Amino acid sequence: MLEAQGLSKFYGSVPAVQNVTFRLERGQILGYLGPNGSGKSTTVKMLTGLLAPSRGQVNCDGQNIQNDLVAYRTRLGYVPEDANLYPYLTGEEYLDMIATLRSMPVAQSRSRIHALLELFSLWPHRQVALGSYSKGMRQRILLIAAIMDNPEVLILDEPLSGLDVTSALIFKSLIQTLTAKGKAVFFCSHVLEVVEKICSQLIILRKGQVIAYGSTSDVRQSIGQSSLEGTFLQLVEERDVSKIASDMVDVVVS
Amino acid sequence: MPAWEPFSRRRWEALVRTPFGCLLRLFVGRMFHGGGETGTGELGLGVGAVLILTAMPGLLVSLLMFEKYGSLIRWLRGDGVFDPFAATIPDEYFFIVLSASVTGAIALWRWDSIFLNRRDHSNLVALPIPLRTIFFANLSAVLVLAALFALVVNAASFLLFPVAVVGSQGSFAIFLRFALGHAMAVVCASVFSFFAVFATAGLLIATLPPVAFRRVALFARFALAVVLLGLLASVFTVPDDLERMSVVNAHKLAMLPPVSMLGLARTVWVKGNDVFATGIARAALSAIGLTLVTSIVAYAFTFRSSFLRIPETADISLLPRLRLSFSRLALVLKATMRTPSQRACYDFTTKTLFRSDAHLQIVSAFAAFGLVTVAQTLMSIRADQSFSIRHSPSADFLSIPFILSYSLILGIRFAFEVPANLDANWIFRFWLPPGDHLPRSVARWALLSLSLLWLAPACFAVTLIFFGWLDAVLHTLVLIACSILLVEVLLVHFRKISFTCSYPPFESNAGVILVAYLFGFFVYTDYLPQMERWSLLTPLRTLCFAPLFAIAFGMLYAYRKQILEIDKQLLFEEQSRSAF
Repeated sequence: MLEAQGLSKFYGSVPAVQNVTFRLERGQILGYLGPNGSGKSTTVKMLTGLLAPSRGQVNCDGQNIQNDLVAYRTRLGYVPEDANLYPYLTGEEYLDMIATLRSMPVAQSRSRIHALLELFSLWPHRQVALGSYSKGMRQRILLIAAIMDNPEVLILDEPLSGLDVTSALIFKSLIQTLTAKGKAVFFCSHVLEVVEKICSQLIILRKGQVIAYGSTSDVRQSIGQSSLEGTFLQLVEERDVSKIASDMVDVVVS
Repeated sequence: MPAWEPFSRRRWEALVRTPFGCLLRLFVGRMFHGGGETGTGELGLGVGAVLILTAMPGLLVSLLMFEKYGSLIRWLRGDGVFDPFAATIPDEYFFIVLSASVTGAIALWRWDSIFLNRRDHSNLVALPIPLRTIFFANLSAVLVLAALFALVVNAASFLLFPVAVVGSQGSFAIFLRFALGHAMAVVCASVFSFFAVFATAGLLIATLPPVAFRRVALFARFALAVVLLGLLASVFTVPDDLERMSVVNAHKLAMLPPVSMLGLARTVWVKGNDVFATGIARAALSAIGLTLVTSIVAYAFTFRSSFLRIPETADISLLPRLRLSFSRLALVLKATMRTPSQRACYDFTTKTLFRSDAHLQIVSAFAAFGLVTVAQTLMSIRADQSFSIRHSPSADFLSIPFILSYSLILGIRFAFEVPANLDANWIFRFWLPPGDHLPRSVARWALLSLSLLWLAPACFAVTLIFFGWLDAVLHTLVLIACSILLVEVLLVHFRKISFTCSYPPFESNAGVILVAYLFGFFVYTDYLPQMERWSLLTPLRTLCFAPLFAIAFGMLYAYRKQILEIDKQLLFEEQSRSAF
């Protein structure tokens, strides 16, 4: 379905992402993990076609997405890292605008927007300006905007950011249900527990390079750790986190 | 309901249901609502308020024309033969300049909203719409807005000015000719001004790296504001100059865009029989065409070099950032502050003022007003032949630091009322006790340090060069005392940490306050320098300022004393005053 082949991106001579290769099939959730500055967001931008790779390419069903970005994006739902919405539009107006820009039929878009606003507990706030929404509410609006056109591929960059416990639980179930319906999900996150729980495949990135790729259990076993947290720390973090925490306390207490 | 209405509504609804129409509506709306987040200090006025505000200057000036050109008033003045096409040149020039200034000011105010930005990229580019749709939708929105503002700014004068001037002539043909000439000139002035700002911004974005642009943008806006105010100030000299000048010099003056726009009106009025007017009218049309083409080319470059490259550039939100080094002086100032809270709030105030785009714009606008007024004063000093042989400074010379001090202090004081980011004011709510009286002392030091710290030495040095030690010392002392008094007056009710309180509600006495500021300006920049000039003729007379200042400060002290303690407490949310 979605395939990255030797993706690399350089900003000047600085490599942000180097030689990332993976394949995401229908019905799969691919978790994409890495510390800050490891190149996650750059990869997401290349997968969505916002950024052209310096080397390599992204294919969707065998076709390079750069050949026809508009056609590719009709099959794509995307939740960006920052919920940078138009503050003077209401939630309903924003979703209506996205539906129009996606060329969804009016009747279909209206019914879906209303139903999803209700299900995401945003119906009472539908006429409120987005500038007054909390972070979690904005995130829910972005999630609705991403899924309402029934896309085949979902690219989610930190989708749980700001969501309350109930919304996060609903969201996790939603992703799993969508995957069961044959959607392909690329899930970029810092929340290891969620990635461990819902992702079938896993990529761990460090300094722009893939350092682990496979099924979640395979990656864990290959490192010899029982938890994803342990695996992640062993692969990515060069420093002893307990030592750092202890040093911090020393600074404050002394 | 008119028969065309359902049809036009259907057409409109069909248009906004297309991606292009939907984006067009979004981009036009963004121009009115601004590009910032709610609560971060941007004043969202809404479509109606913006349109009314932009139409008001033209309406007010048009109404004044009835008084000037009413047939009864002309008869009472004894104006026998009245040639409307010659007599109205100064007023036509004023309308042209007003139109250009108001439209240019709007374009400057919404500078950030004209171009596609990071938010547009994040929301729109990942959607299945061709990039050319986004490009043309925004370009169309800019054209729609230019046309809309050109119409709204001049709407009142389209009708009222011709009615006032030629309404009593009884000839519809003359009325039409006059109205057409006037409409062409003012609309062209508006369009030129709007696209001149658009082209300037576009060229800067297209040629500079993002970080450099954000730093240069403020200075460019400031320079453009000075130019617009300078144009507005030219109404006092240009029409008279045009009457007096030779054709060669008039050609030079016609390099000023409003003068060439005047040629447009004149060409229509005299049916092309004025060769000079026809020539400059042609130049005006060429200038408009050139500005339009430059804007579109610059916009295309910005789309390619800036908008499409947004994912590759870091988000720079805290700009422009002026790294003015006040560190040593700041240390002295901080030493004069008694508590750590005062020092922290002073730091916060000065840093916000220098680093927040919105606040710098406000101060820049006031500073630009001050500079233009100073420029005019300097012109009159230059025209004064006796300046170089004088032994004591003239009132005009003395007024210069007063003008700068008034505009700067008022500008900074005004900026204090605009919130920076209300979500972040919790830190002050959390730490400062409600009964704390520090806001006034912090604001006082901020106002004085940002104005007098450079103005007083400059004033001393310039007066020293021209008029010697004694005048320099006395003039500087009077300036310092007057500035402190002005600051005290402006802060008499102040009880908030600058930038941390919500917008003040609209007060019914806002008009009176505005008049008071204008009156204050004349007292401060005209009467005070005249008094000072009188006193400097015999330096001992300067002593008479001492009791005056003592009385003024005493009255302020007494007034503050009678204010209830509850009305002096720290404020974070402005509330509307009770109607009772």
